[in-house]
Amino acid sequence: MSKTFRVVIWIAVAVLGALALATVALHRGEQINAMWLVVAAVCTYALGYRFYSKFIAAKILALDSQRATPAERLENGRDFVPTNKWVVFGHHFAAIAGPGPLVGPVLAAQFGYLPGTLWILTGAVFGGCVQDFVILLFSIRRDGKSLTEMARDEVGRVGGLVAYVAVISIIVILLGVCALVVVNALKASPWGTFTIAMTIPIALLMGFYLRTLRPGKVLETSALGFVLVMLAIWGGQWVSQTPSLAGWFTLSATSLAFLIIIYGFAASALPVWLLLAPRDYLSTFVKLGTIGLLSLGIIALRPSLHMPPLTRFIDGTGPVFAGNVFPFAFITIACGAISGFHALISSGTTPKLIRRETQARMVGYGAMMAESLVAIMAMIAACVLQPGIYFAINSPAGIVGQAPEVAAATITNWGFPISAAEMHALAQSIGEQTLYNRTGGAPAFAVGMAHIFSHSLGGQALMAIWYHFAIMFEALFILTVLDAGTRVGRFMLQDALGHVWKPLGRTSWYPSILTTSALIVGAWGYFLWQGVKDPLGGINSLWPLFGISNQLLATVAMCVATTIIIKMGKVRYSAVTLLPLLWLVAITFTASWHKIFDPNPRIGFLSHAAQLASGPAANARLIFNDRLDAVVTGTLIAMISLTLIESAWVWVRVLSGSTQPKLKESPFVATRFATEEQA
Amino acid sequence: MKSLSKIDAQSCEQELSKFKHTFALIVSTLREIFDESAYDRFLHRSQLAPSRGAYAAFRKEYEVSKARRSRCC
Repeated sequence: MSKTFRVVIWIAVAVLGALALATVALHRGEQINAMWLVVAAVCTYALGYRFYSKFIAAKILALDSQRATPAERLENGRDFVPTNKWVVFGHHFAAIAGPGPLVGPVLAAQFGYLPGTLWILTGAVFGGCVQDFVILLFSIRRDGKSLTEMARDEVGRVGGLVAYVAVISIIVILLGVCALVVVNALKASPWGTFTIAMTIPIALLMGFYLRTLRPGKVLETSALGFVLVMLAIWGGQWVSQTPSLAGWFTLSATSLAFLIIIYGFAASALPVWLLLAPRDYLSTFVKLGTIGLLSLGIIALRPSLHMPPLTRFIDGTGPVFAGNVFPFAFITIACGAISGFHALISSGTTPKLIRRETQARMVGYGAMMAESLVAIMAMIAACVLQPGIYFAINSPAGIVGQAPEVAAATITNWGFPISAAEMHALAQSIGEQTLYNRTGGAPAFAVGMAHIFSHSLGGQALMAIWYHFAIMFEALFILTVLDAGTRVGRFMLQDALGHVWKPLGRTSWYPSILTTSALIVGAWGYFLWQGVKDPLGGINSLWPLFGISNQLLATVAMCVATTIIIKMGKVRYSAVTLLPLLWLVAITFTASWHKIFDPNPRIGFLSHAAQLASGPAANARLIFNDRLDAVVTGTLIAMISLTLIESAWVWVRVLSGSTQPKLKESPFVATRFATEEQA
Repeated sequence: MKSLSKIDAQSCEQELSKFKHTFALIVSTLREIFDESAYDRFLHRSQLAPSRGAYAAFRKEYEVSKARRSRCC
């Protein structure tokens, strides 16, 4: 391809992207087609990848095709394995894409589609993709070290400790809020609960099949499991229509929370192969298939967005969660724009699989772009719904009222017309008793997805099946995050407690397993219980807490990245990580301030506690929960402040020449792959 | 006409080979994600033939490291 032709192509991509973005941003009054969002996203990612990531790769990281990666130098056929770049890309994407990019954009859609979409695009291209890319490369150059280890080596002891505490905290809060999303999706839903309950015997059957009948044939077993899950969805309809059986699976939020807490403990303490490994495979199988199917559905249907670009709730009075568009839109959408959790994956398995250093760009930057596109699709799924329906599903009873007529009237008064009869008909069409007050984002996403699927495949008759397919898909992989996260948290706790008393560090010692499992499950179980008992639906307080902790972890990652870049002598390019770092500090610190001290009781934890305390029936438990949330937020902010101070101190010392910068990189070893490829 | 059909056959073969390559890549990716490749590597490293016992040994060894892997939100 000639250079002129390439230039023309990129100019065309830029013009098309600008046109699509202008349409998304400036269009007012009439509905716009969802394809404008897709085109804007694809063009933005293409330009970001082609130009920005290439700039970072060439000028800052100086990717070296001659340098051997740890996968090559430490190859052991187990953890360190040089792998094809596309295979690593798929593996990395499967590890980073979880429920976050689906739930966050759905919740942020209360501001309209515009703020969330712009944040997903800019946040990913200038923040999330950069973070994943640089942390991956820095880990590759340090034998695949974790973020915590790099923070300790390059920033200092405080940085290492804060990274450790931030990771544990985010795991606990994440698991609590994820469990709450599942509870809100399954409460009073016999169909959904039956389907998810059936995944347990299906997983056990898969485990048996995999170990005894067809050892090692995981793809075949997962396909078989998928067929069984589809049968369970079909059977769920029958169960929900059979009163004697429906009663068994119609559970309250508290019963579901209790069951999930027991499940989490069992999942952490039982052998993995029995239940978790097959479920994990099944979940990944369904996840990859559904994401692919959703993209095809959106392209085939090209739906119109009914949600306006901006709603009145940008002023902070939103029913889904309270708080102004700044900073709350930016902490609500973490995965899909920038997520600190990704830094753990980029400094976990992935750096041990990369065959050539130059492939870090495609895997680190590219896989995050793919996840960001998933977030755009989630935004579309939420915004194809009539806004009245969206708000009826996502608003807690404490805001819109318990009775359907009252809720419908409240939402209509906000300017989003909806009637109780319409909501009843919608619930009937998807096989549910009611869709009101299903906070958490998952049910709204499922309704949007069912809308897209049923219009592209099967018509209205399959709406109920598609809805429960979407609920099963979300609940299944949220539960997978829950059990995997509980185990990771348990191991981290065991590692730490091992320094206090050695036997507690032994991962196969049962008293230690039970104690640490109970501690981790107790911690996230408390947040779950708090969310279930919260009259405002739990999401209002817990999702921002999760967003803050996730973005604070990204702050730690960006501190590490900026420190390394400065130590590399590339201070003139440090803005690439420093600017996202400053943005993260601005949004997390502002959001934390509001969550702790805002005088509006719907936003501030302390003012809510004060309001409860001055009320006629003060509930000591709810007051304690608010104060606990304030303390957790304050502690996280204080710890991150210490990391920022420590990092800034290192930068000043390096830049002033008072200390010689010492990078803890592994020494250069020439790769054999370069000569092999030449030969 | 003869040379034209020759070109057609050649381009058809090229397309087929591209398709096969892409398909093989997708299968390899899925095999990596679903740990089938890890099992193959284990068999190769341990000089074992595929069997129930070998798979049980693989899972025992593999799950220790797999269970420590974070999974993103």
